[in-house]
Amino acid sequence: MFSSKASKSGALSWLKHPRHYLFFKIFVWFWLTIIGTVTALVFLSNISVLNLVSNEPLHGPMEKNLAYTARSIERSAYKHKRSLESILSHPRLSKRKLLYLSAEQSDISFTNKETPINIDLSLLNFTKNMPPQIVFTEQYQAFGPVQLTVPEGVFYLYEIDINNQPPLFIRLKLMPGWIKVSIAIIASLILSFLFSRNLIAPINSLKKAAIKLSSGDLSARAAISTNRKDELGVLGRDFNSMANQLELLISSQKRLLADISHELRSPLTRLKMATGLAQMQANEASQSYLLRIEKEANQLDQMIADVLQVSRLEAKSQTLAMQKQSLNVIVEHVLNDAKFEAKQYDKQLTITGDASVTISCDEALIASALENLLRNAIKYANNTISIKLSHGDAVHIEICDDGPGVPNNQLDKLCEPFFRQSDARDRVSGGTGLGLAIAKNAITAHNGTLVLSNKDQGGLCANITLPIIKE
Amino acid sequence: MKLLMIDDDTGLCELLSEYLLSQGFEIQSVHDGEQGLKLAQANDYALILLDVMLPTLDGFEVLKQLRQTKLTPVIMLTAKGEDFDRIFGLELGADDYIPKPFNHRELLARVKAITRRIEHINSLNINTTNKLLVNGVTINLAAREASIDENTLTLTGTEYEILALLCKNASQVVSKEQISEEVLGRRLASFDRSIDMHVSNIRKKIAEHIKTERIKTMRGSGYVFIQGE
Repeated sequence: MFSSKASKSGALSWLKHPRHYLFFKIFVWFWLTIIGTVTALVFLSNISVLNLVSNEPLHGPMEKNLAYTARSIERSAYKHKRSLESILSHPRLSKRKLLYLSAEQSDISFTNKETPINIDLSLLNFTKNMPPQIVFTEQYQAFGPVQLTVPEGVFYLYEIDINNQPPLFIRLKLMPGWIKVSIAIIASLILSFLFSRNLIAPINSLKKAAIKLSSGDLSARAAISTNRKDELGVLGRDFNSMANQLELLISSQKRLLADISHELRSPLTRLKMATGLAQMQANEASQSYLLRIEKEANQLDQMIADVLQVSRLEAKSQTLAMQKQSLNVIVEHVLNDAKFEAKQYDKQLTITGDASVTISCDEALIASALENLLRNAIKYANNTISIKLSHGDAVHIEICDDGPGVPNNQLDKLCEPFFRQSDARDRVSGGTGLGLAIAKNAITAHNGTLVLSNKDQGGLCANITLPIIKE
Repeated sequence: MKLLMIDDDTGLCELLSEYLLSQGFEIQSVHDGEQGLKLAQANDYALILLDVMLPTLDGFEVLKQLRQTKLTPVIMLTAKGEDFDRIFGLELGADDYIPKPFNHRELLARVKAITRRIEHINSLNINTTNKLLVNGVTINLAAREASIDENTLTLTGTEYEILALLCKNASQVVSKEQISEEVLGRRLASFDRSIDMHVSNIRKKIAEHIKTERIKTMRGSGYVFIQGE
């Protein structure tokens, strides 16, 4: 029922739906990351002092047009014997775009019109020995050089286009180094973040659900999108259906236990009644057996009551009769019974601290929790049972015995229904194996905590914390 | 003395009939709510033992409908631990409850505690006008009735007994233990709210006629019937 698609459709199936496979995802993401890194590296290596200028070869009509302009300047210079300056200032040329003439050997240069101040044409001098091309700088775009010879000497002609923005790629190339580095870092950061989140989010959600589930919250499910088709998606859904099964099984098992216990009551009532009738007519000899039957029936009755109480508390279907009550009243009542019980076993009960604080609780439930813990302590104590009471922000009750204690690895399990530490802890003293489970659940139902621990000098300690509800 | 048992557990009914018969009680049993209600309305039983879980009409419904016409003493048979059932039953006017599975001796004790009062009245001469007037509330000890300004209070047997006890000891604190032992014929169990439930019912019924509170709660100790304003 949980078989994944991969096992059915063979080893090469990932080629059909590559997006469904984590392998492919990891592969693609790594690939992208590496491509990104390499690209960034190439960009970085291009950064140099000269990269304020960039160029590409000039072809086609632009080149021809420029050559034609050069020839016509040469012609004017030789035929009409005019100086370069006068040629350039001729309206035919001065109306054109900005032309720049730079001498081969010297720093002499001419333009056909006034140059804007922020334009640095001397940058073009670096390109004098190159074939005609488009030169991009941050401020302008230049076409040239085209060599021309006039009486004044050899010059190189450029046509300058100031307003033209260079193409995107060139602009990128022209960006300052720190921007390039930042972009590379940010891009790879975002990519890596998305990549890891994509991978880790479902794993985290699975982890959380697993922890919750193992701590007893059977309704915990992994939050994994149903659209996710890769291994993690399948794993998440398999986990969830496992949790569903588990919840169903455990809840039906608990319900079964509660139902059986409930149904056992009718025959038990009849059994008790029949025993009562038999006792009325019995002779001396059979009377003791009937008493025994009655005792066992009572024990059975108590166990059923305990099972039902635990299952009600666990299912949180117990209606708590909450009312304000002084803890003193509850404790006193429980302690009176406990003292009597301890006396019977020749054990001592010492009480320190006070409990003069009002708490809001279901007193019967809290009393039964304390009773169960005390009974347990009396059962296993060698000589004394000590009870410490204190209250501040919360009520603390500590019940310790001086008995053998419990192995540390079994402390957690003590509060599970019917848990028995060993064969040594038998039913001699009439326990049902549910006392601690009731205590734990009753305290939890009041938003309190019950912690069991071993004392250093031996003996088990039960620490109860109950919140005080302030008005 | 004739009792009615309404319980769908036929086996239990048989055994209980046999047991109580040996103790001098005659029992008629029915196994569903509707039939039980009809019988209870048509006859005057000394006591009704009423189970909560019943076919056709559940125990609470039977009690609710019965209380509209009759004050026959009722002991509810509740499932142990179902505190809500217990409290709800008392609120509806049950005289007492006993959790199942019960001990036969305990059941007998409670049945006796309630029926004893009836025997007691029967032995008295109804015509004797033995009355008690405390702070506007008249207790007719012979007729087992309480009234306020000629208006008879519709109290159940248990409620009447508690009110009478409080009036007899007006201005004095009557502990819950005392009430439990004298009226219900049993020791007060720890954290048992049934006396509180009964007293709360009595208060509601008195409040229909008198606005000022007559019964005061003494926290942790018991109740006082106030004498004088």
